[in-house]
Amino acid sequence: MSTTTISRERSKNSAGAIWITQAISGLLLIVILATHMIAHHFVVEEGLRDFEQVLDYISNPFIFALEVVFLVVATTHALLGVRAVILDIGLSDGAKRTLNWILAIIGGITLIYGFWLAISLQQLA
Amino acid sequence: MAEQVTSPKNETTSRPIPAWFDVRKRRVGSWAFALNRLTGLGLVLYLFLHLIVLSTLLRGPEAWDQFLAIARSPLYLLLDVVLIFGLLFHALNGIRVALVGMGIGANNQKTLFWVLAALAAILLVVSAYLVFTK
Repeated sequence: MSTTTISRERSKNSAGAIWITQAISGLLLIVILATHMIAHHFVVEEGLRDFEQVLDYISNPFIFALEVVFLVVATTHALLGVRAVILDIGLSDGAKRTLNWILAIIGGITLIYGFWLAISLQQLA
Repeated sequence: MAEQVTSPKNETTSRPIPAWFDVRKRRVGSWAFALNRLTGLGLVLYLFLHLIVLSTLLRGPEAWDQFLAIARSPLYLLLDVVLIFGLLFHALNGIRVALVGMGIGANNQKTLFWVLAALAAILLVVSAYLVFTK
């Protein structure tokens, strides 16, 4: 098998794995988002929790875990989606690698910020 | 791959992203593809804005109350409905793309699209009612 064929096979496998990740994270998001919208908005008087209610909400360990999972899944799905849109432009292999790194860094910063925010709020509660 | 099922790439190959906005001679699948991408980009922007807004909580109850006053204004509630439209369209069209990508309902994807669009419309009306009455 030539280097080009191996490279094409890897690229094909990687695209398949990304597509499956996108589909699974999308499905998970629908479930988590529906729970989030109902628990956080639709059952609350006037649709938004006041300061004390938010702290009560986030101090529940189950809710905290749910929101953290929500953050991870939403960030993954969002950045894979942005990647797909940018790849539509038609990038070289080098540019694709750079894009992957940039998105990984943005994802890392988003997750660190989100975890910090969730933990800070829980400590306030 | 589902992207190949719905992508307008086959219709215009030279300028893929501007091609989303080219509305001439488009089928439902191409419209769904373009709208799926546009709602997706809007939701990414919203995700980051939402995370930034939530940091207001760290500035205490007064700062959060000020945000709540803005968030309960009619214009903001209208934007909430636009957001819910984006969420519903992206989620339900995403289900269609995933199903078709797995080979489920590939021959009936137009019907699947309209059934899910009807479901999205019903859920949007219910959600808009809740947004403006809760």
